[in-house]
Order: sequence, then C-alpha cells, then structure tokens
Amino acid sequence: MEYQIEREEKEVLGDFKPELIPDACGGGIDDYEEALHVLMKFVGSMSSALEQVSGRGANAIVYQAGKRMGHEAGKMVEKTDDLEKAMQELSEILGVEFFFDMWKPTNQTEYTIEKGNETVVKLIFRDCVVRQTLRRTGLPQKGPLCYLLYGYTVGAVEEVMGIKGKLDIDHVGPNACLKTLTIKWGGK
Amino acid sequence: MVKIEIDEDACVGCGSCVDDCPNDVYEMDEEKNKTKVVKEDDCMACLSCHEICPAEAMEHKNIHVAKRLYIDRKVSGILKKII
Repeated sequence: MEYQIEREEKEVLGDFKPELIPDACGGGIDDYEEALHVLMKFVGSMSSALEQVSGRGANAIVYQAGKRMGHEAGKMVEKTDDLEKAMQELSEILGVEFFFDMWKPTNQTEYTIEKGNETVVKLIFRDCVVRQTLRRTGLPQKGPLCYLLYGYTVGAVEEVMGIKGKLDIDHVGPNACLKTLTIKWGGK
Repeated sequence: MVKIEIDEDACVGCGSCVDDCPNDVYEMDEEKNKTKVVKEDDCMACLSCHEICPAEAMEHKNIHVAKRLYIDRKVSGILKKII
C-alpha cells in the first residue's frame, strides 16, 4: 500500500491552464497569515544567522540590500529637490506597511532644522514590517534587520532628491520608532 | 492629541518610565512617589513606557496603534480560553 501524508486540511483540486493575467491567487486570510508568519520566521532567522557569522558586518550587508531596494523604488517616482514633496513621495514608496510621519517636539517650530549644508528632519515610523518581524521572532530592535529600512529610506531619498542622505535611529519602541534623516546638500 | 492616564493605585513608583521616555514626558512626583505626566504633547506614542512598566499602570488614548500582524491568532485564541 502506498504511503500517504496525513493532513487535517483537505487538498483542494482544480484545473490549471497558462493565463496571461492571473485573476485569482488562491487561499484565504488564514493562508496569508500563515505565509506571512513563515516569512517573518525565515527573515528573522536569516538576520540572526547573518549577525552570528558576519558580526557587525551584517548591518552593512543588510543596509546595502535595503539601499538597493530604495534606489530601485525611487526610480518609479518623480525627482524633486523639495524636501516636503520628497517626504510625500517617500511615503508612497514605503507604503502603508511603513507608515511614517515627520515629527518635532513642541518647543520646535519647524519640522526641519538647517545645519550648514545639511537639513535634518525627524521621522516617526508608526507601522513597520521589520519591527513586526523582530517581535515575531523575539529578536531585539536596532539589529541588522532595522538597517534594511535604514538603507531603504536612504536609497529612496537619494534617488528622489539626487543627494546624499543618512538615517540615524534615535529611539525604538514597540509601537513607534523615531529616526533622524540628515540630507547633505551638494554632496552626491 | 495623545492622552495619557496613570493608574496611581497600580503605579509602584519605580521610575522606569521616567528613565526610558526619550522625550521626558514623565516626571516623578516626589511627594506621592508616583509617576506624573508633564509633557503629554511631546509623547510620540512609541509605548516603550508600556513595555517597561512592571505594573501596567498606564494607558494611552487617541494614538496610532501599530499593526500587530505578528500575533498568532490561533495561539491567542487558545490562550484566551485558558486565561
């Protein structure tokens, strides 16, 4: 007798033929949840192993990966040297899964601070898939995976504005993270 | 506008939230030996204070609650039945 793997769920059988534009992906919300959690565990495990093997070099690797993604995504939107417009475009690039706002303390009048040839703006990331992945896998924040978003943001800003940028992590929390974006004018 | 409420009966006066808050939203009320909210408008709702508070003595109202897609609903469902 042939051996059969036993499963709780019944296998769904259907017809399949090549199609130019697929109109269904199959699966319900539970399948999406399961797939998302598996991916979160994979990515978390990869980040942790990368850190174990490469030490602090892991941050640089992940940063570079994020930056490449940011540059690619930035190519899809209009170029601008206006910071506010760039932030709007950055919000479209990062999407709802990286929901962020500009932030300032109450004793500060403007969102941006000019420092010589640099402009500094604080960004508060409220929704973040990276944070959720870290919480799913029990990893601490500010690790290599946070550098993915760091690189992604910097890459996108550099692509949109055609300048050099850097992002520093000020504070990380379970519900929001505060980061400082520094834009260096005239430095490509 | 963020509204923070401290449950004074629950607060143990450890001052962890005062130390942890990056925007100095809290201060210690030396007389009562409890935490008090002094700069509510500067709260960015990171909720680090929630995570560090051993007594779960605070509540933030009218904030953006970040998505928690990492929660395993199946496990939560089982836990709810037990607890």
